[in-house]
Amino acid sequence: MSSQPPALEMRGIRKSFAGNIVLEHVNLTARSGEALALVGENGAGKSTLMKILAGVHQPDDGEILLDGTVVKFARPADALAAGVAMIYQELSLAPHLTVAENIFLGREPLQSATFGLINQRDLNARAQKLLDEYGFKLDPKMRVGRLSAADRQLVEITRAASSHTGDSRRVIVMDEPTSSLTDREVEELFRLIRDLKKRGMAIIYISHRLEELPEIADQLTILRDGHAVYNGRWGEIGTDEMIRHMAGRALKEIFPPRKAQIGDVKLRVTDLSRPPKFQHVSFNARAGEVVGIAGLAGAGRTELVEAIFGATPADSGQVEINSEPFTAIHPNASVKRGLSLLTEDRKRTGLCLNLPLSTNVTLANVGALVQGGRLQRKVELNATTNYIQKLSIRPPSPGKAVGRLSGGNQQKSLLARWLFAESRVFLLDEPTRGVDVAARAEIYREINELAEAGAAVVMVSSDLPELLGMADRILVMRRGRLVAELNARQTTQEEVLKHAALEE
Amino acid sequence: MSDWLKRFLPFLSLIALCAIIPLAEYFILGHDSKFLTAGNLAAIARQTAVITIMAMGMTMVMVSGGIDLSVGSIVGLSSVVGAMAMASGTPVLGGFLICLAVGAACGWLNGAAVNLLKIPAFIVTLGGMGIYRGLGLYICDGNAVVGLPQSAGYLAEKTFLGFIPLPLLIVIAIALIVHFVLSQTQLGRYCYAMGSNLEAARYAGIRVSRYQIMYYAILGALSGLAGAIETSRTVTGQPNGGEGYELNVIAAVVIGGGSLSGGQGTVVGTIIGSLIMGVLANGGNLLQISPFIQKIVIGAVIVLAVTFDEFQRRRVESTEA
Repeated sequence: MSSQPPALEMRGIRKSFAGNIVLEHVNLTARSGEALALVGENGAGKSTLMKILAGVHQPDDGEILLDGTVVKFARPADALAAGVAMIYQELSLAPHLTVAENIFLGREPLQSATFGLINQRDLNARAQKLLDEYGFKLDPKMRVGRLSAADRQLVEITRAASSHTGDSRRVIVMDEPTSSLTDREVEELFRLIRDLKKRGMAIIYISHRLEELPEIADQLTILRDGHAVYNGRWGEIGTDEMIRHMAGRALKEIFPPRKAQIGDVKLRVTDLSRPPKFQHVSFNARAGEVVGIAGLAGAGRTELVEAIFGATPADSGQVEINSEPFTAIHPNASVKRGLSLLTEDRKRTGLCLNLPLSTNVTLANVGALVQGGRLQRKVELNATTNYIQKLSIRPPSPGKAVGRLSGGNQQKSLLARWLFAESRVFLLDEPTRGVDVAARAEIYREINELAEAGAAVVMVSSDLPELLGMADRILVMRRGRLVAELNARQTTQEEVLKHAALEE
Repeated sequence: MSDWLKRFLPFLSLIALCAIIPLAEYFILGHDSKFLTAGNLAAIARQTAVITIMAMGMTMVMVSGGIDLSVGSIVGLSSVVGAMAMASGTPVLGGFLICLAVGAACGWLNGAAVNLLKIPAFIVTLGGMGIYRGLGLYICDGNAVVGLPQSAGYLAEKTFLGFIPLPLLIVIAIALIVHFVLSQTQLGRYCYAMGSNLEAARYAGIRVSRYQIMYYAILGALSGLAGAIETSRTVTGQPNGGEGYELNVIAAVVIGGGSLSGGQGTVVGTIIGSLIMGVLANGGNLLQISPFIQKIVIGAVIVLAVTFDEFQRRRVESTEA
């Protein structure tokens, strides 16, 4: 196997944008029948490297070899035709078209080439054949907009895996494919990846979730600051060393110890219901406490915290903050009472992407900037600079559009927003999703500081090591109900999962 | 560099126009520039005043992510109602205030409908465009309202220092106020935030419906003021007044760098946008270019402005790794 040239080789890739070197002499090898795990923090250069592979960017230096032959991709279509397919992080499907139409988008089988008539029946039949071949149970005539996130991913994969010309299917790149999937769907995806490997494809798999890589990875490449700092067989180095390579720091520093004094109940939720999403949920969170909420995707966790916050009010039940009952019907009332929600989807419900960092930080408490009817820019600038230092937001420019920051820094700026709004009860929904290791460590440190300062933190997370490392108590939700309360110090991932997934 | 270009392109275009028109007059028509005379410049100010006033309000609405197609109809309706009041004995000042109130009420309705019905502002105000126009025509039976006191002409005709028209002073005052609001106050800050990401603004605790309605009401009131000036200019209530203004008003905002998708736009940009259109029309007349050709040119300028805006946006997005 190793006698023949690898399916893909990238040699000495160099790339700079406007004088900033993004990639410096990066080598990468992907063999057919194997999966290469490509890991690295945000900004390490993974996306740029893959965009070069996809023909979106041209390298300043270095070469790409497919099966030992040097190739040049001047545009994405070239890469696609050569059998390099890319599945992007943000799904790029047309929601109003059907599964079959999406799979064949741009290369529809035509009934008449002259008039561009699409042969709908042939289209569906061919899509069905592909779906059967990959073992996906999807209806080709279904509109993509009605599919779950996981099913859409399957459509993307089908499209990518079939988008070669001739027999040259070679390389599939998956960029964070599991970030929108439930655990069960992740299992399905892994089965598919193993299957694609058996068919002789080379897979490049980009992920933040180190814990899911052992399932599929054969090779490992670690990028840091535009350099490939590690290339080797999977398993030669352990997780601790991987993290050190990625971040330049050790694992135990990620979950720092917390010395918080547990105090009075700050948030009490009683019998809160909004069927069918969640029903009869009661719990409380005390000052100095971090309460974790675990559960599978679709268990109703996001809906629960959104109801507490008042973004989508509950049908019945009570919420008390500092022992005062209040009915959250609009986030406005909640924010005024010191309740905050760091939402799961920061781009949709969190940030004003084209506005400056400073505007985003102060948005929930603009009133504090107003003096004599005017916004005091100086106050705003000082506050923002303060949070930039406190949370190490990079780059440290208050005027920079927040959309240009990395995921981790965007998340920190949202955390800063709620700090500036003087929140005392924090609802954090997946606070570290799509956030790199270094930024995660800073977010954890800040959560600890909040708890130590007497705030109550409720943290929804799908990342079990994170919940076990951060929470005092873990509440488990299943199908809209709280089914277990576990002491985070004494429980295990297996126990949490058992409660989250088990059917009575 | 490209940010710099984006910011100053409308301004540079305006300067270029002001240079090209006198040169063209000299070389093509062979006479000294009429364009650069105080009288002509005052005429441009007068002609663009009404559009600019409305465009100030439209800037707020569009920055907040909305749009209002009914503003031209509001001009007509408020003109008719105000004129009818004056014709039946209401003092002139009272009549003008009624114009403002009618406009504000229409704008408030637009904002409330956008929020209540949860349908796109484009559709709501397209309906409003028909409703307000029809209402104005109905109450005066399609005829201009006459019998206003001569003093009703004051608002449009009064000049200071012999050549500065009162409407120009009104434009300047309103531009200063709206600029202050957009750049220095909470109301303005929320405007940008809502236009940038409405959901994010709501989750940050901003009462988005309340503010949205406010922006529409302000635009309505300014359209009512435009109606008052039109009434004063003709000393009649014009049920067809303001017809087609919505296009010029929206074009002024867009040419000045305002985004149709919200979150972007400034008062200075909008004024320049409005002036570009005014200068184009005025210069076209001076150069004896057919008004039909002028329409084509203005249409092309709008498309170019939006294309440039989109092009810039895409470039910014593609440099984000």
